[in-house]
Amino acid sequence: MSMPLLSTLAAATVLLCGCVTQHPQNAEDFRKAVPGAFLARVETFEVNRPVRDIGATFRARAPECLTMKVTTTSQTPGSYQVIVAAYKPTVVVTEQRAELHLQRHFEKGVMAVTKEPEGGYYLLVADAYPIDAKRSRLEIFGPSKGHDVLTRAIMGWATGKNLGCPDLTKIG
Amino acid sequence: MIFRLRIAGWLLGACVLAGCSGIKPYPEALPKNLHVTTEASSGSALSRMRVALHVHLVGADCRTEYQGTVQLNEPSVQVGIPPDRLSYLVFSFSSSSFLGGSSGSISYDTLLRPRPGQTYIARASYADGIYHVEIRESGPRRSAGREIERRGLDECGR
Repeated sequence: MSMPLLSTLAAATVLLCGCVTQHPQNAEDFRKAVPGAFLARVETFEVNRPVRDIGATFRARAPECLTMKVTTTSQTPGSYQVIVAAYKPTVVVTEQRAELHLQRHFEKGVMAVTKEPEGGYYLLVADAYPIDAKRSRLEIFGPSKGHDVLTRAIMGWATGKNLGCPDLTKIG
Repeated sequence: MIFRLRIAGWLLGACVLAGCSGIKPYPEALPKNLHVTTEASSGSALSRMRVALHVHLVGADCRTEYQGTVQLNEPSVQVGIPPDRLSYLVFSFSSSSFLGGSSGSISYDTLLRPRPGQTYIARASYADGIYHVEIRESGPRRSAGREIERRGLDECGR
């Protein structure tokens, strides 16, 4: 990979994280950092399923769909780029909420510019809270650009209407 | 010298065309017991989505032996998987841009030991960046049958 590309990726990584010098080291730090970060957002949805069911679907689908290594290549005149990203999901289900955390560690092609938590930088956190016995509020903390496929997959799992996996080669 | 170089070039070209990429067609010798339906769309006029099924045999020591690949270009394809033997099936979804800019591939893999005399139905779909593979053992009188749970290669010895 050419040096300009590496520099661009490193710069983009910094920008995506709001020009911070330290990345969130756990899910709670990530929840606090996202609302004020550049190119990040919190989305809220209402889902007609109880938290217990959402947690069960997260447990069933996240390990299968999100535990993976993704290799992407891009070729333009003068450059050939290979990026290897390892994704690690974590699901935590309690009486109060169902959580899905997704971390990403670049094994190749992208430089880590700040201290990386074990398992990779936090990419997304989705929390489901009970509204009542049958409905839940889903909060998704994550990037505002290029990761729609992740949000759609998690919405599909939360609603139970689409249990498909997100194509992680399509996320930025 | 130039003649030898040309021959070498032709041989190289023929080798690539013959499948030196390592991908080989899956043999059609076995009775067809797996019916695969495929629906895939890249979602863009500038890119293409290809779906393929790679079949591996799994030995007693859990080592895999690549048997070949079935290109799932048609909406419906019949495949013969050795009955009563453990096979490792890998469905790959590969996108490539017509402009040659980028490509990516993602896959779904599972172990399957087909029961003799049974038929299996696999549905592979890809739309809007979401992919799904479901395998069912067909039930009596065209009923839905039972869903086959995904088993990764790491579960081979269990």
